[in-house]
Amino acid sequence: MRAAGVALVGLMLGAPVTALHAQAPSQAPSQAIALAISDAKTRQAVEREIARAVSRGLPSAPLVAKAMEGITKQAAPDRIRSAVAAQAQRLEQARGLLGPTPSEAELVSGAEALAAGIPTAMLKQVRAAWPAQSVVMPLDVLTELVARGVPPKQALERVVTLMRRGATPVQIAGLGAAVQADVAAGLAPDAALEVRARGVMSLLPSPAAAAALAPSGRRP
Amino acid sequence: MPRRGPPLALAALVLLGRVVGAQSDPVLRLDAGLATIQQPAIGTVRGRETSDAALLAAFWRRPLERSTLLASGNLTYARDSLAAIQGVAVLSTPWRREPNLRTDVGVAGASFSLRSAGTGGNTNAFVRQQVVRTDDGGWVGGAMGRTRRDGVPSATTAADLGLWRRWRFLYGSASVAYQYSTDWLLLYTTGELDARAEAEYDLVDLQFVLQARGGPHDLTLSWTRRRVFADGPISLPALQGSGTFQLTDRVALLATVGRQLADPMRGLPQADLAMAAVRVSLGPQPLPVMPRAVIAEALVHTEVGTDSSDATMTPRAILEIRVEASDTAAVTVAGSFSQWEPIPLRWEEGVWIARVPIARGTHRLGVRVGSGPWRAPRNLARVRDGFGGESGLLVVP
Repeated sequence: MRAAGVALVGLMLGAPVTALHAQAPSQAPSQAIALAISDAKTRQAVEREIARAVSRGLPSAPLVAKAMEGITKQAAPDRIRSAVAAQAQRLEQARGLLGPTPSEAELVSGAEALAAGIPTAMLKQVRAAWPAQSVVMPLDVLTELVARGVPPKQALERVVTLMRRGATPVQIAGLGAAVQADVAAGLAPDAALEVRARGVMSLLPSPAAAAALAPSGRRP
Repeated sequence: MPRRGPPLALAALVLLGRVVGAQSDPVLRLDAGLATIQQPAIGTVRGRETSDAALLAAFWRRPLERSTLLASGNLTYARDSLAAIQGVAVLSTPWRREPNLRTDVGVAGASFSLRSAGTGGNTNAFVRQQVVRTDDGGWVGGAMGRTRRDGVPSATTAADLGLWRRWRFLYGSASVAYQYSTDWLLLYTTGELDARAEAEYDLVDLQFVLQARGGPHDLTLSWTRRRVFADGPISLPALQGSGTFQLTDRVALLATVGRQLADPMRGLPQADLAMAAVRVSLGPQPLPVMPRAVIAEALVHTEVGTDSSDATMTPRAILEIRVEASDTAAVTVAGSFSQWEPIPLRWEEGVWIARVPIARGTHRLGVRVGSGPWRAPRNLARVRDGFGGESGLLVVP
C-alpha cells in the first residue's frame, strides 16, 4: 500500500518520481491514493496543494515526500494537508530568498533551513556569500548546526566566514561532521562549532587570497 | 524555646542536585514547590517535628568555548521565617584528546538561618574526574568545605569514588564516600550524635542508586548506609525515592520522598522530607516529548561500489542504522532516502541493523519499533516533522 501510495501520488501530479517507482506495483491511482489517505476531502486537498505549488513553478518532489512522510507516520489527514501546505510555503519563501534562479536542490535545502527555524534574512546572507556557487551544502550544514543547538547567529557567522574564505563544500560538510562528533562526545554545540571552525579556517587562504581566487562561474 | 525542624536548605539541596544533574536540558529552568520536612527534635524529650517550606530554584547553563558553565541557585522559605539561600557554579570541561574524560570543577556557597542547626554560612570547592562511556562510567572526586555556624568555624574534607552502568533503560551506580569533619554541632543538633562526644568525626557512606529513564521521565531510588565514627561507630541507613514526570514540552512535575542524611560539606542537617515541585523550562522551545528508551544510531560509511554495473568503482555512501530493541519487535527505518517507504531491519548478533545506499545531501529519517512512535536516532540532530513528532536530520557530504 505504501509503495503504491508513494508512486501514484507523484504520478498523478506529474512529479519526477522515477526513483519512487522502482518498488511500486501497478495499481489504479485513485485506489492507491484512497488507500493512502482515506478521507476524500483531505486527499483532494493535498492534491490541490501540490498542484497549486507546481503551477507556481515549485518542485513537486519535496511536497510528495512530505505527504508520504505523513502517510507513513499515520498522521491525521488534515495534518498531512497542512504540513504539505507549509512545505510549499517554505519552498516559495526560499525561492525568493535565494534568487534570482535557485536550483531545485537549493530550494529544498532552503526550505529545510526555514523549517529548522533559521531566520529568512540568514538565507539571503548565505546566498550573498556565494552568489555564483551552489549553497546546498552551506545551507545543509547551517541547518544541522542549528538543529543541534548552536545559536543561528553564531552558526551563520562561522559558515559564511568559511564560504568567504574559500572553503570547499566538502570542508564545510566536514565542519558539520566534526561538530556532530564533538557534541556526541559531550561538548556543548556552540563550543564545538568554535573549535572546529578554527580548525577548518587554518587550512584556508587569507581573505585577500580567497577573494582573488573566488570562482566567478555560474553554479550548477 | 523549642527547636523547630528547619533544614529547609536540605530540600533546596535536593532540588539543586536534581537541576545540576541534568545538563542537556534547556538553558534556563525555574522550579517552584512545597516541602514537608521532619527532623529529630533536640531537647529533653526526643521526638520529631515537622515544618513546611516553599522552594524556588533556578538553573542556568552557558556553553563557553571549550567548556560548559552551569550555575544554579535556590531560595527556601518557611512559615516561621527560617530561610536558606544557596548558589553553585560548575565548570565542566571535556578533555581535548580523550573525549571519554571530563573534569568538573566547582564552587558553592550557602547562607542559612536554621533554628536547630544555627545561623551561618558555608563555602566549598570540589573537583571531580569523570569517565563517561556509552554504557558505563565512573568518577573520583574530592572536596573541601568551610562552615561557620553560630560563630563557630569548622572544616570538612571529602573524597568519593563511584561506578555506573546502563542496562537498556536502567542505570545503576555504586559509590563510596569518606568525609572528615569538625562540624560536630551539625550531627548533634540533628540527632546523629547524642552529645558532644568528639570535636571531630569521620563518615563513611556506601550508596547504591537505581534509575529508570523513559524519555524525559525518570524514577530514582537510592539507598545509603552511613557509618559514623565518633564515640564508637553509629550506623545510619537512608532510603530516598524521586521522580520527574514531564507533562508538556515546558512543564514537568518533580517529587522526592525519603531521608536525606546530614551533609557537613554543605552544612546541612539530616531530615526526612517529602517534596513536590513544578518545573518550567524557558529559553529555546524544546522538541516534543518523545520516549527514547530504545537506542538507535545512524552511521554513514563510504565504500567502493562492487556492483557489476559499477564499472568505475566509485565510492558510495552507505547508511547504517543500528537499533537496540527486543528481538521479538519489528523494527523499521524510513526517510527521505527511501521516499518514506519503511525498510525492515534485520536481527544480527543482538542488534537490529539495516544498511542502505544513500545519496549526498540532507535527509530526514525516523526509526520505529513495533507500533510505537517514529523517533530520531539519538546521534542525529532532531527536527520537528510537521506532524507533531520528530525526525532525525542527516547531512551526507
